Amino acid sequence: MQIGWIQLRDFRNYRTLSWSPSPKLNVLTGPNAQGKTNLLEALGFLLTGRSFRTSHLAEVPFWGTAAVAVTGELHRLDGTVTVRRALERLENGAWRSEGAGCSWARAVAFGWHDVEILNGVPALRRNFLDGVAARLYPSHRAALVRFRQILARRNSVLQRGGADAAAQLGPWDEQFAAVGMELVDRRRRATAALQTEISRIYPCLAGECHKIELSYRCSVGEAAEPAALFAALERHRREELRRGQTIVGPHRDDVLVELDGADARVFGSRGQQRLLALALRLAELLPITEATGTSPVLLLDDALSELDPSVRDNVLREIEAAEQVFLTTPEPLPVAAGGRWAIHAGGLAAA
Amino acid sequence: MAHYPEPVARLIEALQRLPGIGPKTAQRLTFFLLKRPAEEVRELSEALVAVKDRIVYCQTCFNVTDEDPCRICRDPGRDARLICVVEEPNDLLAMERTGEFRGRYHVLLGALSPLDGIGPEDLKVRELLARLDAGAGTAEVILATNPNVEGEATALYLAKLLRPLGVKVTRIARGLPVGGDLEYADQVTLSKALEGRREIS
Repeated sequence: MQIGWIQLRDFRNYRTLSWSPSPKLNVLTGPNAQGKTNLLEALGFLLTGRSFRTSHLAEVPFWGTAAVAVTGELHRLDGTVTVRRALERLENGAWRSEGAGCSWARAVAFGWHDVEILNGVPALRRNFLDGVAARLYPSHRAALVRFRQILARRNSVLQRGGADAAAQLGPWDEQFAAVGMELVDRRRRATAALQTEISRIYPCLAGECHKIELSYRCSVGEAAEPAALFAALERHRREELRRGQTIVGPHRDDVLVELDGADARVFGSRGQQRLLALALRLAELLPITEATGTSPVLLLDDALSELDPSVRDNVLREIEAAEQVFLTTPEPLPVAAGGRWAIHAGGLAAA
Repeated sequence: MAHYPEPVARLIEALQRLPGIGPKTAQRLTFFLLKRPAEEVRELSEALVAVKDRIVYCQTCFNVTDEDPCRICRDPGRDARLICVVEEPNDLLAMERTGEFRGRYHVLLGALSPLDGIGPEDLKVRELLARLDAGAGTAEVILATNPNVEGEATALYLAKLLRPLGVKVTRIARGLPVGGDLEYADQVTLSKALEGRREIS
């Protein structure tokens, strides 16, 4: 799929912008703090209604404005859809995202902070995997919301304690196990889909042979039935009551990434971790294309810095697999194909 | 709001406590009322007081009523062997509007909600058990709590409690709205509808 044109009003440092990007590669250059990442964020917001940088919508509006509007046209082989999104300020000061999306629109975004998927806390790896699962299986996001609601209520029962706490946990345990295993199942499938792709992509990017192994580490092992999670909750009941929190379940799972048999969190160099993070994002392209019938838009924020020139060429070759790519870079790139754009102070010009 | 005369500020305060009403709406309502004839405003205030004075909970089903037991519990034409359990009186009214259900009701006056500190003892659960115990020959209890996490937990809790009593316990189905399009159904509803599919006879 491609973004045919996009129009912004009061989005971050853009007062107004109307832009028709190239249907293939778009290289966005310019000094720091001029709005390169903001533009990527706006493209992502058009496609998904969310920001890949923040969950605080209040950060997005141009300072002092009461409404943000992002409009655009999305193309794929069998048609064109116009998408209108807006952020509006409510009476209580909170911001609400408005507007309907397009069922096949997907964005895969990479940013410098993605290296934390490898060297950060397990929660970041779960978030990463949930993002992939949500792009592959649209019901994942709703199940995740439901799971968090159940978890909060279950923890609340555990914290309150009391003689009948064990009895009161019953109905929450049952839902926790059912929705929890639903999440685990989709995360496992997402891991398997990434595994197939990353074992091909990472060696391509690195330009040398490597073995990458992704494994989903679940608190109930290989079990796939809600009954297994339910039983695990019962086994840990006493400790959970003592600690006042739920200690087994998908909110405690992790993904192990192994590079040539060694844990990449510990043994990978910074360069390797960065390249692995990029490879993890690129590994989403094919599974999403298969699931939605069209290639997602690739948003790469400063993806080439800190990379060797030969690796850089490999990355540029690999991203040709996507239909439309947006790539920010501080200095101009020696590439001929696609559109080149210079960004300066919330404005954009062909370069 | 210091610059409002005291009675105005007090009304704005009071209105703001209502669900779904923010400070701006409360101001708008207050100034609207200020412009209306005194008689109309008095009627409103009397209606507010009357609701509190004359409305009681039916001691059988805990629906709101102006006479106890309520009309539904007294109606001999309704099947006493069928009890539909709902969270709030509003839910009962919604069920009644269908005109399909000819049994009786039991209103829990809430749902299990640990975040608000609402447990089974805060709901009319004991009263439901007492009703079943009273030997009215209940054949089926329909759990019609909301399909959110609280309503689901309440239904699961009640099912566990009622099953040993040898009464048939059912849960209302979740699925697609009639007249809707599959294409526009959200994923969760659609998968629940698929899960609860039925054979066409």
